[in-house]
Amino acid sequence: MLSVSDLHLSFGGIRALQGVSFEATPGGITGVIGPNGAGKTSLFNAISGFYTPDQGRVTFEGRDITGLSPDRRAALGIARTFQNIALFRGMTVLDNIKLGGHTRLGANLWQALAYFGPARREELAFRAEIEERVIDFLEIDHIRKAPITALPYGLQKRVELGRALAMQPKVLMLDEPVAGMNREETADMARFILDVQEEFGTTILLVEHDMGLVMDICAHIVVLNFGQQIAAGTPAEVSGNDEVIEAYLGAAA
Amino acid sequence: MGQFLQFAINGLMSGAIYALIAVGIVSVFKATKVVNFAHGYVIMVGAYFYYTFAVLVPGMDWAPAWLASWQPAWLTAMRAELPVMSPMGPVLDWVQNLPRILFGLAGAVLANAALGLVIERTLMRPLMGQSVFAMIMITVGLISILAGAVQLVWTADADFVPHIAPNAPVRFDVGETTIFLFGADIVNMIVALLIFGAIVAMVRFTKSGVAIRATAEDQSTAYSMGISVPKVFSRAWMLAAATGAVAGAILATRNGISPSLGLFGFSVLAIVLMGGLDSYVGVFIAALAVGILEALTQWQLGGDWAEIVPYVAVLIVILIRPHGLFGQKEVERI
Amino acid sequence: MITGNLKASYAADERVFDNPNKRAFFYASLLALAGMAAFANDYVILVACQMGILLIAVTGVNVVTGYTGLISLGHAAFVAVGAYTVTIFHTAFAGTIPDGMMALIAIPLAVAVSTLVGIIVGLPALRVKGLYLAVATLSANFIVIFLIEQEAFARWTGGMVGIDTPVPNLLGWQLDTKREMFVLIAALGVITLLAVQNLFRTRVGRAFIAIRDRDYSAEIMGISLLRYKLTSFAISAALCGLSGALFAYFYARILPEQFELALSLELVAAMIVGGMGRTMGPVFGVLVIVMVPEVIKSIFGVATGGVAGVAQLLAPLQEIAFGLLIVLFLLFEPLGLNHMADRALRALNRWPFAR
Repeated sequence: MLSVSDLHLSFGGIRALQGVSFEATPGGITGVIGPNGAGKTSLFNAISGFYTPDQGRVTFEGRDITGLSPDRRAALGIARTFQNIALFRGMTVLDNIKLGGHTRLGANLWQALAYFGPARREELAFRAEIEERVIDFLEIDHIRKAPITALPYGLQKRVELGRALAMQPKVLMLDEPVAGMNREETADMARFILDVQEEFGTTILLVEHDMGLVMDICAHIVVLNFGQQIAAGTPAEVSGNDEVIEAYLGAAA
Repeated sequence: MGQFLQFAINGLMSGAIYALIAVGIVSVFKATKVVNFAHGYVIMVGAYFYYTFAVLVPGMDWAPAWLASWQPAWLTAMRAELPVMSPMGPVLDWVQNLPRILFGLAGAVLANAALGLVIERTLMRPLMGQSVFAMIMITVGLISILAGAVQLVWTADADFVPHIAPNAPVRFDVGETTIFLFGADIVNMIVALLIFGAIVAMVRFTKSGVAIRATAEDQSTAYSMGISVPKVFSRAWMLAAATGAVAGAILATRNGISPSLGLFGFSVLAIVLMGGLDSYVGVFIAALAVGILEALTQWQLGGDWAEIVPYVAVLIVILIRPHGLFGQKEVERI
Repeated sequence: MITGNLKASYAADERVFDNPNKRAFFYASLLALAGMAAFANDYVILVACQMGILLIAVTGVNVVTGYTGLISLGHAAFVAVGAYTVTIFHTAFAGTIPDGMMALIAIPLAVAVSTLVGIIVGLPALRVKGLYLAVATLSANFIVIFLIEQEAFARWTGGMVGIDTPVPNLLGWQLDTKREMFVLIAALGVITLLAVQNLFRTRVGRAFIAIRDRDYSAEIMGISLLRYKLTSFAISAALCGLSGALFAYFYARILPEQFELALSLELVAAMIVGGMGRTMGPVFGVLVIVMVPEVIKSIFGVATGGVAGVAQLLAPLQEIAFGLLIVLFLLFEPLGLNHMADRALRALNRWPFAR
């Protein structure tokens, strides 16, 4: 489904990724972990298309997408959330989520200007769909008309997830979805992520620092450190791996 | 060949003045990340201050006679002995004007620096931390305010201002052709280059320069390092306005004082973007290049067409090198 | 106070005029416009026409700057292109095309040509940072005015002294009074506002707002930045072209100096004062911007008793007023009059509970 092979990425002197290769488990949840600065977000940005790797390939559904622009990749069905919440602050929750479905709607400029006709039909059908699939699903119906700026952090993250879901993506990349959340919010978010996987069969790629969450819901984990992949495997394998322990906790004295 | 050289040199001298105007825009951008779209009008106000202190004030009844025209005994004596058409004539004229030239420059620089401070405090400071969009739009509003204010205070009539250097004609031969230049233009160019160089040196090598660069890069970090960010902003604006006053004065000596001086700001904006917004070197080269191109266009197609050279040039540059000739592509941290 | 604001279907929720008050406002406005066309005196009609023409252009600027966040300082160029396309067309084809058809071809032609020019100007500049677009549009403004003024083209454009404009003839209906022009302008104005409102109810408009708020996030949603920025810019050029066409038909004579930077800044001022990124923003903005010179004139008339020398002061005072409006609104009410009206209406809606 989605795989990267031998990705190399550097910014001037900084080598962000040095030969990272892995495959995201189709229909499952794959975690990407590593200490700060390991290159996790750079990896996501390379998969999204914001950075072009110096070397290596990104493959999606058998097709090499390394040269595609971010919007083309989104059209193929790759969705993503951002570490620092990239919602559109000038819009309501509902509009943000509708925007997630941009690639699935087809009204052109003239149809949009006229509105009545194909554009309106499409909009109403889409609205009905996201109300069920996304808004009810994520339990955010009570805030759907609220402006983004009025929402607390946890709800914003959930809205961002909803926006990604509106795309009905084949691959969903979540960049630190529970950063800054307390136990209750984390549990809620974990539940939603699992629901997404079960209900829609989406392949999920997850970057996270919260080890509890990662170990609980990920079927497969990739560990990065200083841009290199130091381990990969099931949660049990990875948590017992010496190199991983050293990367996080330091070498034994 | 000779004509080409003549126009090219004229263009070079214009280019130096454009560089001086541009340095104000680049400095404010470097310090505050705001492109001052009204800079042309700030220098125009500076030119009008020069006009005020060099022409209007000396013309007032209460002004001392020597301010308007300094005529010490030795000067009058020298003048009496001069043969007609002697090159010393313009030099003595200049000496006669010296008090009001200096008064004019000093007054213009101080007054404009004050203007820069006022603008920064009232318009830029309240918007600190907000979107760059809002700050740029406010400078756009400033354009109309300054343009209207100048017409209100000084009226739209055109007038002359004294050259800051002796306007003696200078001739020299290159190969078979004779190049004619005016002393004032040469001095203007030298002054412009000196000030440009001084500012670049200041930003490169002095503590305030480092403060400017730090603030441009990351305001909050600069703040926590003990750099007073508001002070950096004020200083940048005052510096831009003060050097702008000199640029304005020079422009006024060449083109006469009139509200159309403000339009130079836009051609220089085009130059700044061509050179890459934050590169002094790039902007310098772009300024000289545009000056020469304008002069050559004037030579071949007539003065009118020279007007739009910077605008056509910037569109072409954007087409082939989107980030300006020497600018850097910003890598955004997502 | 609004009560019973209950929606039973998504269709009802998606409507623009979703409560009786808004519907009433809409119909009342249409009625008012019709009433004005029939009964208002000539001076009011004149001012209203000016407002209508400007409204279409400001709506265009609002689409590209207010909604999409792209700064443009030269949109007067597109107004000029629209206006001169109309006059050049009439000069070139008068007699070969039946009179009743001329305007029907000229107006869409003006829109098409200004859209084309817009795409040419926008294409290079939209690939990079917003500042480049601002300077590119500024340059376009200067270049267009320059070309119009050139003696070489004076045969078509009238050069610096301008050119007379024809009277529009829509299939036999000669619009030779201002009142009749008002009907055309008002109709086109209402259609423009409705069309733009529709735009932002669909994916196209949402994409524009997304680009303004966070462009990399918009890309992730599958929005091609260059394509949508260009579309937004083209729409704004088209609307300014339409405004220009009406400009040409309305004023007896068009001159290059009417389309200089001052007009571009006026459009921007109207957008900011009225409220960026809101459908009704341009309406508020245009009301203020057109009234400012009139107000200044009357204040000065009263204060100085009609002294001759005062006339010289009017133009600079007007300029200062525009600049001050931009600055004061940006400092104190960046969302414009529209936002102030929103707040007032909201307080009214909650009355007597609002405190």
